[in-house]
Amino acid sequence: MNDTPESAGVPRTRVYVVVWLGLLLIVATEVTLTYAHLSPGKLLAALLGLALLEAGLAVMYFMHLKYERRILFWSLIPGLIFVLLMLNQLWFDAIRLRTLHP
Amino acid sequence: MSSTDMPLALEPGEALEESPFGIRSRKLVMWLFIIADAATFGALLFGYGYLRVGSADWVRPFAFSPTIVNAIVMTVVLLTSSLTMLASVAAAQAGRRAASLKWLVLTALLGTAFAVLHLREWFNLFREGWRPGTNPMGGSVLVGGTFFSITGLHLLHVVTGVVALLVIAIFYRRGRLDAGHLETAGLYWHFVDLVWMFVFPLVYLMNVR
Repeated sequence: MNDTPESAGVPRTRVYVVVWLGLLLIVATEVTLTYAHLSPGKLLAALLGLALLEAGLAVMYFMHLKYERRILFWSLIPGLIFVLLMLNQLWFDAIRLRTLHP
Repeated sequence: MSSTDMPLALEPGEALEESPFGIRSRKLVMWLFIIADAATFGALLFGYGYLRVGSADWVRPFAFSPTIVNAIVMTVVLLTSSLTMLASVAAAQAGRRAASLKWLVLTALLGTAFAVLHLREWFNLFREGWRPGTNPMGGSVLVGGTFFSITGLHLLHVVTGVVALLVIAIFYRRGRLDAGHLETAGLYWHFVDLVWMFVFPLVYLMNVR
């Protein structure tokens, strides 16, 4: 059996703990902002931004994408972002639906 | 070279050509699955957003206690399980099999704790009269439908992950799996955590009373 790591230059445990603490801090910020009486639009923007930051940290450090060959990142992530961006076309119809209600 | 001449340390196909990604096929396949699953969850969350924006009578059902407090605890448990999964993989890569197993089982236990907390939350909502097609507060019935669909699919991923981790622990203990297998399983587990990073703010925090 081969017990060697498949990712070159994987980070040390201390890096993982720092990222984990950072993620907990982001969660605490999200909860604080939720009760800060922001407008729904501002709260959504803030929560989405923080969630994307969390996801980026998890993908890069916990899932080691930062330490893999760049071709893996470029083969996987832009396609997913493209699909998610295309889904934004839904909002126009959602707003239209809302105006149909009394 | 015939297949019988292939060195035993190599897996089938490995000697033929190096992957341009520099990783084994199993890890690449897991990445492809994760991207496809991310698109699935993305579509679900966009669908939830569409229905929410399109509904004039959307209600916000969640009080700070017990729902949000419970969700915060669930979030901390799941984030911590990612850390224990990393510890398991690191121990396996260092050849410390017993320590790796300990962290792996702890990860599965944290996953189980998350599932139990989640089910407790669901049953609290059931007691209040919430169902996928019923809204006891009045207004859009889609609130329950979207909530149970999204959190249900995520819970299914967690439960599947716990079962997979336990099966992997058994085979790893017997020496039939190695650190690479644990790393691949870890990718899935971190992805489950990553999805929750969007479900928690969008489905819970955006629905606070």
